[in-house]
Amino acid sequence: MSLAAAQHGFLSPAGVEIAFLLVGLATFGAALVTVTTRQLVHAALWLVVALGGLAVEYLLLTAEFIAWVQVLIYVGSVVVLLLFGLMLTKAPIGRSPDADSGNRWAALAVAVAAAGALVWVVVDAFRTTWIDLKGPAAGSTRVTGESLFQNWVLPFEALSVLLLAALVGAIVLSRKAKADEAFGTSATADTPVALPGEKEGAR
Amino acid sequence: MAPFPGSGLAKGLAVTLRTMMRKSVTEQYPDAQPELPPRTRGVIGLFEENCTVCMLCARECPDWCIYIDSHKETVPPAAPGGRERSRNVLDRFAIDFSLCMYCGICIEVCPFDALFWSPEFEYAETDIRELTHERDKLREWMWTVLAPPALDAGAEEPKEIAAARKTAEKLAAAQAEPEEGES
Amino acid sequence: MNDALDVALRLLVVFVVFLTFPLIVGQTEHKVMAHMQGRLGPMYAGGFHGWAQLIADGVKFAQKEDVVPAGADRRVFQLAPAVALLPYLLVLLAIPIGPSEGAVGQVLDAGIFFVLAVMGVGVLGSLMAGWASANKFSLLGGLRTAAQLLAYELPMLLAAASVAMAAGTVSLPGILHAFHWWWLPWQIVGAIVFFVAGLAELQRPPFDMPVADSEIIFGAYTEYTGLRFALFLLAEYAGIIVLCGLTTVLFLGGWHGPWGADGLGWLWTLLKTALLAFVVIWLRVTYPRLREDQLQKLSWTLLVPLSLAQIALTGIVKVVIS
Repeated sequence: MSLAAAQHGFLSPAGVEIAFLLVGLATFGAALVTVTTRQLVHAALWLVVALGGLAVEYLLLTAEFIAWVQVLIYVGSVVVLLLFGLMLTKAPIGRSPDADSGNRWAALAVAVAAAGALVWVVVDAFRTTWIDLKGPAAGSTRVTGESLFQNWVLPFEALSVLLLAALVGAIVLSRKAKADEAFGTSATADTPVALPGEKEGAR
Repeated sequence: MAPFPGSGLAKGLAVTLRTMMRKSVTEQYPDAQPELPPRTRGVIGLFEENCTVCMLCARECPDWCIYIDSHKETVPPAAPGGRERSRNVLDRFAIDFSLCMYCGICIEVCPFDALFWSPEFEYAETDIRELTHERDKLREWMWTVLAPPALDAGAEEPKEIAAARKTAEKLAAAQAEPEEGES
Repeated sequence: MNDALDVALRLLVVFVVFLTFPLIVGQTEHKVMAHMQGRLGPMYAGGFHGWAQLIADGVKFAQKEDVVPAGADRRVFQLAPAVALLPYLLVLLAIPIGPSEGAVGQVLDAGIFFVLAVMGVGVLGSLMAGWASANKFSLLGGLRTAAQLLAYELPMLLAAASVAMAAGTVSLPGILHAFHWWWLPWQIVGAIVFFVAGLAELQRPPFDMPVADSEIIFGAYTEYTGLRFALFLLAEYAGIIVLCGLTTVLFLGGWHGPWGADGLGWLWTLLKTALLAFVVIWLRVTYPRLREDQLQKLSWTLLVPLSLAQIALTGIVKVVIS
C-alpha cells in the first residue's frame, strides 16, 4: 500500500479522485440544506440526495454491495418511512414557521464534534491507503461478506441483537400504550365488560 | 366451502380465460350495421294516406311533440244529388324528436295505422332545432319500417285478418245460399 | 473508442427496449383485457386491430397542456415523474436476457441489491407527486403508496434473498448460471411471493389501492396532465416489464429452456417475460381491488411468513445437498 501511495500525489488527482471530491461536495451541500431548509418535505428529499451521494461515494470506492444496500435501506425504506410520517402530519407546502429549534447551536456543536471524531478516526485508520482500481474489486459482495462474517462477526451479531432489542422494545411500547388507552376508554365509557371485539366499536 | 384454499381465485381466473377464448360480442357499428328487430324504437314513420287528422296522437303525446296542421276541404258528392262531404286535409305533420321520449303512445292510439316504429336511428343533428322532422322525412322513414314479426304458432289471428275472413266467409255463404235456392 | 461504442450501443438498445416494451405490454393489456371482458378493444388506430392505439395516446398526451396546480410545490411536482420513471430504465440495464456477455446491459456484482434498491426509489416519485400536488386525494394516494411499499418491500427482499442463498451469489447472471430445473419447484413459494409483492409495489390491480379511481380519483397522479401523466403511466408499464423480467431471471431460469439453450436463450427469457406480463394483465382483469387493511394483512400475515418459510427451506436443502 505504501508503494501505491508513493505513486499518488494530492497535486495531480486522477479523474476518479476529482469525481469523488465533487460528489462529496454535493453530498455535503445536500446534507447542509437538509438541516437548514424550513420546508419539511424538502428536507426529506434533500436527505435522499445526500444519501444517494453517499452511495455514489461508496461506488467510487468500489464498495458496490454497500452502495446498493445504502440505496435499498436508506433511500428505499427509511426515507419512505420518513415521508410517510411527514405526510401523516399534513406537512404543509411551503415554509413551516416552527421548523426551527432553540437547540440548534448545541446540535451544531454535537454534529461538528461527531464529524470531527469520525474524520479523525478515518484519517488515523487509513492515512495514505489507496484503493487499487485496476485489481479485483476490494468491496465486492464476496469480499464484503467474507470480511463481515470472518473478521467482524461478533460486532455484526451484537448489532443484530441490539436491533432486535430495539424492535421488540418498540412493539412492547406501542402495545402498552394501546392497552392503556383501551383500558382508559372502557373505564370512562362505563362498560363493565369489554370484549375484544367490542372495544373497537366502543372507540 | 372451498375444497382447497385459493380454489375461488382459480375459478375467477378460469372465468376470464374462458371469456377471452370466446368470440367477443362487440358490434362494429359504423362499419357494420346492427341487426335490429322489427318494431325497434328507432324513429316514427308516418304513412300519410292512412292519416285522417283525428289528432288523437297529438293529444295523447305526453311531451306534446307532435305538430299537426290541417284544413277542411269539401268533396263533391260521390253520387249525383248526394250531400257534399267535408274532408280533413293534412297540411303539416311534424314530430320534434328532441322532445319525443319514444314512449310509442302515438303509435298505439292511432286508430288508422298511420304511425309505425322504424328501426332507423341515424338521424342525429348538430342543432336541436333540426330535430323537428316534417312529414316528408317521416314519410321517408315509413319505407324503412320492417314487416312485423311472425306470430307465435297457435296464436290468435290478427283482428283485421279475422274480420276480413269473417266478411269473406259471410259473403261466400251469401253467394252460396241463392245458388242452393236455385237448385 | 471501441469500448465507448460498445457502451453507447448497449445504452441505446436498453433505451429502445425501455421505450417499446412498455408500449407492447400496454397494447397487449388493451386487447387482452377487452377480450377477457367480451369486447374487442381498440380497433381503429393504425388500421390493423388498433395496433397504434398507444402511439395515438402518446400524441394526444403530448398535445395536452401541462398544468401545475397553483398551490402545488412546483419543483417537486415537476420532478416527480422523472423520479418515478428513471429507476426502471436503470434496472433494465442490469437484467440479463441471454447467457453470453453481450446479452446484458451491464453486469453488476450485486445485481439483486441494485435492482431491488433502484425499484424502491421509483416509489419515491409517487410520494413526491402525492405530497406536492396540494390535493387531499393525492396526499391519500401518497400515504397509501408509502404504506404499501413498506409492507411489500420486505417479502420481496426475503424471496429474492432465498434465490441468492440457493445460488450462492447476488449477481443476476451468476444466479442464472447456477440454475437447475429443479429449482422451479424448490423456489415456487418464493416466486409467488416475489411476484405478488412486486405487483403490489407497482400498484397494479388488484393491489391498486393507492390509485383506486373510484375513491381517490387517481391517487398521487390526480393533478397530473399531459406528458408528465404519460410518464407515470410509462413507469407503471416499464415496471411490469422489469418485474416480469426479474421474476423470470430469479425464479424461472431466464434463458434456460427445454431446448435451444445456446443461441436462442434470449428467446426463452423474452417468452417467459411475456407470459408473466400476460399473467399480470390476467390478474388485473380477474380480481377486485383489495381493501387497504386486506392489503396490509396479506403482506404481513401471509407473504412475510411464507417468504421466511421459503428461506428456511432453501437453507435446509442447501445444507443437505452440499
